[in-house]
Amino acid sequence: MVLDPKSSFHISTSSGVPIYRQIMDQVKIHIVSGRLKGEDFLPSVRQVAKEIEVNPMTVSKAYSLLESAGVIETVRGQGMRVKFSAEPGADLKDRQEEVLPFVKEMIKKAKQLSLTKEEILDAIRSRWED
Amino acid sequence: MMNSPMIECLNVKKGFGKRNILNGLSLSVPKGSVLGLLGKNGAGKTTLIKLLVGLLKADSGSISVLGESPWRFSEGAKERFGYVPQREKLYPWLTVRQLIEYAGSFYRHWNETLVEQLIRQWRLNEQERIGVLSEGEAQKVAIILALAHEPELLILDEPVASLDPLARREFLKTILHSVADRQCTVFFSTHITSDLERAADHVVLINEGAVSFCGELDELKEQVKRVRIMAGDVTVEQLQMKGVLACEHTDGGVVLTLKDQQGDALQKLEQQFGQAMHVENLNLEEIFLELSR
Repeated sequence: MVLDPKSSFHISTSSGVPIYRQIMDQVKIHIVSGRLKGEDFLPSVRQVAKEIEVNPMTVSKAYSLLESAGVIETVRGQGMRVKFSAEPGADLKDRQEEVLPFVKEMIKKAKQLSLTKEEILDAIRSRWED
Repeated sequence: MMNSPMIECLNVKKGFGKRNILNGLSLSVPKGSVLGLLGKNGAGKTTLIKLLVGLLKADSGSISVLGESPWRFSEGAKERFGYVPQREKLYPWLTVRQLIEYAGSFYRHWNETLVEQLIRQWRLNEQERIGVLSEGEAQKVAIILALAHEPELLILDEPVASLDPLARREFLKTILHSVADRQCTVFFSTHITSDLERAADHVVLINEGAVSFCGELDELKEQVKRVRIMAGDVTVEQLQMKGVLACEHTDGGVVLTLKDQQGDALQKLEQQFGQAMHVENLNLEEIFLELSR
């Protein structure tokens, strides 16, 4: 499967998070969620840059950082491919890792508001099914 | 693959009468980059751009654009760049079509398909005379003229100032396509920082005629952070932080804008204040405001 850049990457320019980081994070999320599997190809730098309207250098920076992190690899003449070993698919730990920043943020807020653990878990439970 | 820079300025000075505009400005633009030039009104952006295209001569220092001195550009070099001035109403008696044909006759390479595509996209009437166009329409024509010969280097002075948001987005898209397909280098000044967030990889901030930052946009964003410490009694003096751009004491604590935090300075703060501390990323507009105080 090849990812469609337009529907796969959502870039926010006002968040202050560098765009290459947003691309890296979103590639990782697609891998962790199983949407991208080992040996799947990523869309080319040019394609992504044009579709999501960002600078090609930004996309290639995200890709090369993902490559040095061992998440994807270059296949000569064909592009960037998700590494087989990088496929965590069902790995609970990796998926939890992705929500960790939000969890931390929530805990911080909860403590500021002096909510207890039980109270914050209740809030999660009551909204989980929505 | 390291190429020599497309633009290089070394210690450039330029003044008009007694007023110094550029006071020893240096910068370098690598090939294939999209560089956004930011600065307050009167910071020297237009003067710099006019020096880069050879419309003004520097008082001292050296400027190299496409490997040549702009003041003595060869004809070859002139074909390799495109320029959109801040305000242009050339030849008011010509129609849009006539002006395009006239400009096109100076170039060996002219992409008529691109011209027609942009004219359609921007709903320009080719039979209209230049003199009666609105500012926005005139700017669109100027952009088309600068893009049509598919130059290696585009130098644009507030190219989108008079464009509506839709036209601006289309303009940026066209620019990004030229960059992706032809590795075009783009140097443009603007006040619309959100456009730069998407399109630019490099930023230059100029302040009072000198460069206050020149480098990657991402690097700038990683350098500048806002830290909120919500511990009532804390003051900025106690923290003894370096690189404080701004600080504000509020009821609940202190809000700092920090630049260039070395190593573990932020982690140390985090250890000290834990959950009372909050680090925020800033977008380019906020960074620009903080740096040009």
